Amino acid sequence: MVLDEYEILALGAAVVAVMMLGMRHLRPALAFYALCTFMIVLETILVSFLQKEVHLFFVAIGILVIKVVGVPLFLNWIMKRIDVRSDSGIMAPPISMHAGIMMLGVSYLLASQLPGMTSDIDGRLAATGAMSLIFTGVLIMLTRKIALSQIIGFLVLENGIYLFALTQAQGMPMIVEMGILLDVLAAVMISGLLLFRIKKSFEHIDVTQLTELRDI
Amino acid sequence: MNQLFGLCVIPLTLCVVSLLLPKPKLTRLLVSIGHWLQLFVLVNLSAPLLSGAKSELSLGPEFSLDAIGAGFVLLTTFVVACASTHLNYYFAVEKDKSGESGHERLFYFCVNAFLLAMTFIFLCDNLGFLWISLEATTLSSAPLVYFERTKNALEATWKYVIICSVGIAFALLGTVFIYAAGQHGLDRQGSLSISALVSNAHDLDFSLLRLGFIFSVLGYGTKAGIFPLHSWLPDAYSEAPAPASAMLSGAFVNCALYGIFRVSQIMIAAGHATLSSQMLVILGTVTVAAGSFFLIHQHSFKRMWAYSSIENVGLMLIAIGLGSGSLFLLQAINHSVAKVALFLLSGNIVQAFGSKKLSELKGIFKACPIWAFLLVLSSMAVTGMPPFGAFISEMSILTANAQVGNWVCVAVLILSITVAFVAISTHVGRILVGSAKKSFSPSVAANVVPAVLVLSSFVLGVMFRLQSWVVLK
Repeated sequence: MVLDEYEILALGAAVVAVMMLGMRHLRPALAFYALCTFMIVLETILVSFLQKEVHLFFVAIGILVIKVVGVPLFLNWIMKRIDVRSDSGIMAPPISMHAGIMMLGVSYLLASQLPGMTSDIDGRLAATGAMSLIFTGVLIMLTRKIALSQIIGFLVLENGIYLFALTQAQGMPMIVEMGILLDVLAAVMISGLLLFRIKKSFEHIDVTQLTELRDI
Repeated sequence: MNQLFGLCVIPLTLCVVSLLLPKPKLTRLLVSIGHWLQLFVLVNLSAPLLSGAKSELSLGPEFSLDAIGAGFVLLTTFVVACASTHLNYYFAVEKDKSGESGHERLFYFCVNAFLLAMTFIFLCDNLGFLWISLEATTLSSAPLVYFERTKNALEATWKYVIICSVGIAFALLGTVFIYAAGQHGLDRQGSLSISALVSNAHDLDFSLLRLGFIFSVLGYGTKAGIFPLHSWLPDAYSEAPAPASAMLSGAFVNCALYGIFRVSQIMIAAGHATLSSQMLVILGTVTVAAGSFFLIHQHSFKRMWAYSSIENVGLMLIAIGLGSGSLFLLQAINHSVAKVALFLLSGNIVQAFGSKKLSELKGIFKACPIWAFLLVLSSMAVTGMPPFGAFISEMSILTANAQVGNWVCVAVLILSITVAFVAISTHVGRILVGSAKKSFSPSVAANVVPAVLVLSSFVLGVMFRLQSWVVLK
């Protein structure tokens, strides 16, 4: 089996995200997030050439500016300000990475079950990458303790959904993609500002300890 | 297109005004007047739809409004206008208590952004725009929940933003599936336009459409608060200031359910009404049952109304599952009117007594008879007692279910509605009686909005005859 660039980029993004699961330190995890998103940008440009869709090129530029450069820099700035370096997680990172690898396999099986894969480029491996990114995002949110990791998990999850739209439906209309991008940016800004507040009033950002509100 | 801009003018101006004006008192007044003006503009716009002269109003590419959407956009604006009128009183008292105006500017800015985002949900004819506006409502209402700047409010806001964002991310995945269903279907043209999807529904790839439907229901359902995904809802409703909870419960919930409604329209048009109906009716029944049983053990005043909202979300979900937009609208109107009155009253009571705990609220009847009177009437309205409006809509949902033979659902609904009624009347009864430490004589401003809402719930109940609302054939 020979992989072409199209499949390598999608699977590469998924593998990079799985490696994030094995990281205790937040800085390299952010760098890997930027790398993962950058591979998705390359994939977008590739699809825009293959399908001759000019609008995808502009979407790629939007993602490059906002998600590859802007969001990681913003989160890095927050990390410095509230002085958090690492997240040991609820589960040991190597174990959650193995869970991620297992989900990558599950995604491959699921991708072959996907109906209607008749687009002109074989979308199965790309769909594997996209679904694995979604699972990885959910795993990051579930297995990490620190509020910042939850934001990173959400971003990985969103990357997966974007990659899925790109490879299975040649991307959504441009105005919709731009709106989604803006919403994600606003969500990251708002949750980032909330992080400051959490640090200030609770003196930690461990979400497993946010259990004051209950029914009893 | 001009009409579309016309609708944005007032909320956008108010956004700017609320940020710039130095005096909070003037902002409060201007914003409440502005919201009633906006309601007037919308009534003018949708008059031909409501009278039946037109069936659809085109507002430019990808934007249109039909009769159900017009009903919802009017309801939403009405709820926001009522809440912002009551804010005049609420913030005046709050300021007397704490001595500072706090973060009112940001609050008012977000109220107007929230209104704008909610308006767009009903105007857009595009699944992508629908998703964008729904996510915008979450983001713009987060500062409303965080208004009191306490630790609890912070925790509630964090859960709200994270859970709703992840939930709605799955709805985005559902949207992608539906888009792909068009591309992999017979005519090979992807489209996000809801009217185009409905008219070409038979050409869509069914298995992708089904996946899209399931993900959209779960995603938008997280925002509406359907049962296993509701965990953020009681926290957010109880920690937000009362008028903001009123907006969340009376307007925001309907918006999320409207998303489910639009997606289920595509399923029905594609000839798979049974699947969508079964799924929504089962989810709805479970939600009603769970919401009612959680009501039994409640210790907090505002959490109680949050669970009652969950119960009503279940009822509306069943109405959507039955494929009846007008039944959904009817239940939404009756729930919103009664629930907004309740939240505003609860806000007054919590402000006066200084506690949200049911065990610390006592003797409201002695302390302030008018509040006690209004509280009894509006709790009757929200539990669906005759002669209030909710009785008619709940009865119609029951009869419509009986007509299609969902007997299990009918039985569970009757049991749950009874449980909810008994639970709410016990809790309310307990805080009404007893001796009060002090008595309050609230100003007219404190009572006018809840009183008007209770009255309109009564009028809604008397106005319509039962038969005219059973829409199912």
